[in-house]
Amino acid sequence: MKKLNIVLILAVLGIAIYLSTLTPMEMQGLQGRFLSLLSPFLRTGTAVQEQLGSVGAGLKSLDELEADNRKLNEQNRELRTTNNLLRETEAEINRLRLALEYRERSIFRLLPARIIGRDASTWWNTVKINRGFEDGVETDQPVLTDVGLVGKTTTVAKNESIVVLITDETCRVAAKVEGTREQGILSGIRIQDTASVGELQLNFLTKNAVLEAGQKVYTAGVSNGVFPSGILIGTVREFRTRPLDGQAVVDPAVDIALTEDVFVVVGAK
Amino acid sequence: MRTAIGLISFAVGVFLAFLLQSAFPAVHIIHGARFVFVPLIFCYTAMVLPFPAMLVAALYAGLMSDLMYLHVVGGRVEIALGWSIVFFVIFGCIAQGLQTGVKRGHWWPVIPLSALATSGYLLLQFGMISLRREGFIFDEAGAWRILAPGVLAALFAPLLHMGVQWVLQFFPREQNGVLSY
Repeated sequence: MKKLNIVLILAVLGIAIYLSTLTPMEMQGLQGRFLSLLSPFLRTGTAVQEQLGSVGAGLKSLDELEADNRKLNEQNRELRTTNNLLRETEAEINRLRLALEYRERSIFRLLPARIIGRDASTWWNTVKINRGFEDGVETDQPVLTDVGLVGKTTTVAKNESIVVLITDETCRVAAKVEGTREQGILSGIRIQDTASVGELQLNFLTKNAVLEAGQKVYTAGVSNGVFPSGILIGTVREFRTRPLDGQAVVDPAVDIALTEDVFVVVGAK
Repeated sequence: MRTAIGLISFAVGVFLAFLLQSAFPAVHIIHGARFVFVPLIFCYTAMVLPFPAMLVAALYAGLMSDLMYLHVVGGRVEIALGWSIVFFVIFGCIAQGLQTGVKRGHWWPVIPLSALATSGYLLLQFGMISLRREGFIFDEAGAWRILAPGVLAALFAPLLHMGVQWVLQFFPREQNGVLSY
């Protein structure tokens, strides 16, 4: 091998080693600038992806459509009933809120955002939203919808941000189970089944916890944590006992594949 | 001049490959495996470009890949910038070893090489993630997501070759010497 080639290889490897020694913040800064440059093109790519995805989704048989229709009618009736009940509850909650000045303490400033890119990687569950530091978004801010928790921001560029979803294994949330004193750490699983909404695992529960399918799981809101308390995450599907602790399998409340609009919690009101 | 044309074409090709990768959704029937085109384009280019140009291509493709998939959560980087550059340099060196055959018209080694590079890239990513997290978890879906993109890259390799040859017919003979064989 020529001497020049060896020198060039060493130079390229030197650049690679230098890049790997950058701090996470410097790397995020580089990625942010890169995303800002690529943003217009990626948005086009996402639009194409949505078109491609909708081609498959539209191909349903008549039987499937009838079944869907029946299911939706049932859901509609159910929701109307629930809605009527909730109206009464809402009035009661409003009264109690006023009484406890809860409104002042727990309502957050929400920044509406639109999902402009779904995860294009094999191993990470992320989405891109159309809000960046120019809109007041910062790293590690919770992202949610009216249905429940979506995830949190990671890299923030000028006009877009990456949101790591709760279905990702690296997104950890302190969570509590409705109607119990059980608290644990919730995260996604490494390889999610792409055909379903996703699966979450709630670890470090007590071994003798009595959990039932359908119980709701909320954020626990630890001090100095990212997520405020009381945001719905999902519902318990099953509970397993492990040698040292208990683990609940949780279905996420938000189906990110069907979600287009989200809110970023940019601070307290 | 010919090398510069080759490098510019590569840069545009990799850029388009990233856009295509983000445009194609995960394929449910193969357990959520995705199309990964960049290693295929790199292997093809590395087989026809001179060594210094191959290194520039590895630097470009590696940096783009790392910036595209950098995952930082809670101030912790899963895979640091720079490792893809090393990966592409290694595969570029292997591809350079096949250049003599390519000049004689044997372009087919790009098929197994791109399959190996694509699956190898994903396997390395998975390995590094597993080291960072709580150990190795391997299941059927994981195997599909590593192997299926390699098979898809092998299927796309002849199409890429035919596409490049078709484009080259519109260039003057003295300019397309780098890529035609």
